[in-house]
Amino acid sequence: MLSAQERAQVAQVWDLIAGHEAAFGAELLLRLFTVYPSTKTYFPHLGPCADEAQLLSHGRRMLEAVGVAVQHLDNLRAALRPLADLHAQVLRVDPSNFPLLIQCFQVVLASHLQDEFTVEMQAAWDKFLTGVAVVLTEKYR
Amino acid sequence: MVHLTAEEKSLVSSMWGKVNVDEVGGEALGRLLIVYPWTQRFFDSFGNLSTPDAVMSNAKVKAHGKKVLNSFSDGLKNLDNLKGTFAKLSELHCDKLHVDPENFKLLGNVLVCVLARHFGREFTPLAQAAYQKVVAGVANALAHKYH
Repeated sequence: MLSAQERAQVAQVWDLIAGHEAAFGAELLLRLFTVYPSTKTYFPHLGPCADEAQLLSHGRRMLEAVGVAVQHLDNLRAALRPLADLHAQVLRVDPSNFPLLIQCFQVVLASHLQDEFTVEMQAAWDKFLTGVAVVLTEKYR
Repeated sequence: MVHLTAEEKSLVSSMWGKVNVDEVGGEALGRLLIVYPWTQRFFDSFGNLSTPDAVMSNAKVKAHGKKVLNSFSDGLKNLDNLKGTFAKLSELHCDKLHVDPENFKLLGNVLVCVLARHFGREFTPLAQAAYQKVVAGVANALAHKYH
């Protein structure tokens, strides 16, 4: 699915995130909840107004999963099987929400990387995250 | 009609004042054509769109991006009447250009990414929320006259 060049772009972006999963994840979730408030319905355990500790904790978990995906670009389905099961059987996040999360992810990357956020990076990362979303929703029915 | 709070309106206009509308237009359109390459279907006459470098340096892409964003800029002055402001353009995009309104949402999202790139940390979640509301409003206004 991803060309060699695209994989390199994905890896390059991940190098900038690795080690900062909590911070990136927290900002990602904060943007998601601020821009698309309906997404909060999937996080009742975070309460009506998630505090920083909760955002950092959950954000880190999400970004660590993205990291797993980055390490297994050749076999996303196998690597993400437990998460795919979780989303299909327990979380059942409506698939329309994944593009919202992806948009927020791009904005986080763009605002942090600025001039370094090349169009090739944006394209590769969008393609990669969309692929992850497909795998996570594949078992829904 | 977009419903922005006073704070959001203030964020939108103060940030927009610092935007180089001509350049941002070209960049947004270029990124759209690369990240979502199927959008190139509307631009057969634009010449070489075969690589990211070709697209981003394409003079027609820059010129058209500039036109699009100047029009968007007009919308920002009329947030209370986006449907009226974009009525004629809506008809054009439906009747003459045959553009799927989904493309307006894609371009709006890319524009938000470009603004995030330019403003960096200043492009806070609140700023993003305000701008996402605006681009969604413009997209809806452009789709409003479709039949």
